[in-house]
Amino acid sequence: MKRSKLLTVVVLGLLLRPALAQPGLSETARQRVRQNFENVALDTLNHTVYYEQRLYRNPFIGLAEMRQVLDDRRIKAFVPMIQGVPVGRYMLNSSLDMEPLSEDERKSYYQQSPFRWQNYKFDFWIQPVFAAIFGNRERPVQSNTSVLLQTQLYLFRGLVFNGGILFPITNHLDGRPQIIRPAPLFLNYFRAIGQSQFLSATAGTFYNDRYGINLQYRHMDLSSPWSFGLEAGLTGFYYYPRGGIYYTNLNELLLQADVAYRLPVPDLTLKLSGGQYLHNDRGVRFDFIRQFTNVEVGLYAMKTRNGATAGFNFAIPIPPGKILQGERARLRTGEEFRWEYTYSRGFSIGERYRVGYQLDQRLRQYHQNYLNRQYLQLR
Amino acid sequence: MVDVMCNRRGGLILPFLLLFFSIGAYAQMNISGKPGLIYIPSAWAAEESSFSFGYKYNPVHYAFRQNRRRSESIYHVNLAFLPRLEINLNLLRMNGDLRVQDRGIGDRQLDIKYLLLKETSYRPALSIILSAPFGIDNSFSSNAIVASKTIPLLPSFYADVTVGYGSPYYILREESEKTNFDIFSNLQLRKKKELRYRYLSGPLAGLNVRYGKKGGLLVEWDSQHLNLGAYAMLWKRWTMQAALLNGDQVTFGTSYIIDLTPLPKRLRTSDETK
Repeated sequence: MKRSKLLTVVVLGLLLRPALAQPGLSETARQRVRQNFENVALDTLNHTVYYEQRLYRNPFIGLAEMRQVLDDRRIKAFVPMIQGVPVGRYMLNSSLDMEPLSEDERKSYYQQSPFRWQNYKFDFWIQPVFAAIFGNRERPVQSNTSVLLQTQLYLFRGLVFNGGILFPITNHLDGRPQIIRPAPLFLNYFRAIGQSQFLSATAGTFYNDRYGINLQYRHMDLSSPWSFGLEAGLTGFYYYPRGGIYYTNLNELLLQADVAYRLPVPDLTLKLSGGQYLHNDRGVRFDFIRQFTNVEVGLYAMKTRNGATAGFNFAIPIPPGKILQGERARLRTGEEFRWEYTYSRGFSIGERYRVGYQLDQRLRQYHQNYLNRQYLQLR
Repeated sequence: MVDVMCNRRGGLILPFLLLFFSIGAYAQMNISGKPGLIYIPSAWAAEESSFSFGYKYNPVHYAFRQNRRRSESIYHVNLAFLPRLEINLNLLRMNGDLRVQDRGIGDRQLDIKYLLLKETSYRPALSIILSAPFGIDNSFSSNAIVASKTIPLLPSFYADVTVGYGSPYYILREESEKTNFDIFSNLQLRKKKELRYRYLSGPLAGLNVRYGKKGGLLVEWDSQHLNLGAYAMLWKRWTMQAALLNGDQVTFGTSYIIDLTPLPKRLRTSDETK
């Protein structure tokens, strides 16, 4: 894409062109779908649309909806963004093709379409969190269940503050008070470097009672099978006793490296990772991850100094998705519920914590083959 | 299963009929939630990217854990993880008031099934089923090889024939829960004969005579007993079944199938997304 005059239009801008409406959705329905998007910019010269959507865990639904409501049918290139940062250029031809964006192309977009936090909604979502161990004789499911009301504030391009309130429901896992307390509060910075390198840096209070800093780097060409990543984190333990906060020093190092290979058919990723986990445990882990259309299911096995175990994990969208939505504000359910089951418990085998998103999980949703297989369903 | 009869020699009518039994053959889930009959599994693979979940009641005389003492509830999920590979998770819970040492969430078991050969016009489908060896109480393990073939009878009526062999051995990990930190340790080969109930230990055979995919009658030899049953499928997704085990006690269950592939209908039916 050449440096060009870029027509920056916010969601509102799209609405200025209702005259060319296609048969199919009614105009009111189209306007409703348009509200699913944020920070929309049209580059009519290059027939490209830039947009962000936070509603669906499957980016293809966003892409297909954007195509559905674009009045300008000449627009062939779709650039979804994460936290204001373009991920790649997707073209809907006879198949779905993907081109990485160059540093210059990103810069040109940044110049033409400066970051404005007003381009984003006040977005609130409901996120269930469930941690459990099984096997206790008296209480077979010991769980820590809570519901989070979360939001994000976009500070500048790439940088987002995540926060919310946690409402406890059950707690059999620890003796801590069941009080309404802050949900994880953290800053996350997402950045694309060059064509296919991505960075996610997070600082604040995380899930699984850890706080601190976490850095994730991934080299991933979104149209090729190989990718690799590095992760480093320095965290301490924290929780909210009644009337305060308890925390330890930043004393635990998490260091991970991984290499992944993605088989296009049937959307299966093989991932070998290893390094240092929490509790000074060291070892390796092997994951098989299958991406179904809206659901991801993984199987894994790991061997560390503390033992060997196996399990499975999954990520599913949380119905109903959108609850209330307007131009400026939205209430929805979280875009995914992610859960992992480990066969062994109580031996601290390969344990880790969770920040807002894992870079590899987020990026593999943008892989060309994954999106293309869905695109072919529509053709 | 669909390529089953779309063979070079197939007549005009066969590929057409196929539409019916492509789902019918595996609508029925056995006691552990795998495509199959009552106790025995069949060789057909679950449809690509299908996910099913369900419940089975196992009566007291045929209970796996505490045979002749406690009936059981079995909860199961089955996922076609890869085109030829299925993953099956089941949770076996004993019914009734339990002694403290028998309480808990129940026995969780992970089984995999791999389709070795797809069915063609002249050969049956062939699958191998293996239970993950890392459980510390494998009373319900499925280690078997099965072959299945569909024979058209009358228009819309089919006979699904399954034969197989269940391993008389299983793998047990003798481990206390307190030191259960290595799933690959202490693996031992044990004889199923030592168990109170020998599930799938020896020759297996089954016949499902069905009408399209709407329902069928089942008869099987599960290596120990002769069982008779029937099932019906509603709205192409919901199966209900019941069977008489060994002319003695009744088992029943239900399961529901979801396909994880399709995009939302509003996108599939829209012209504007194409």
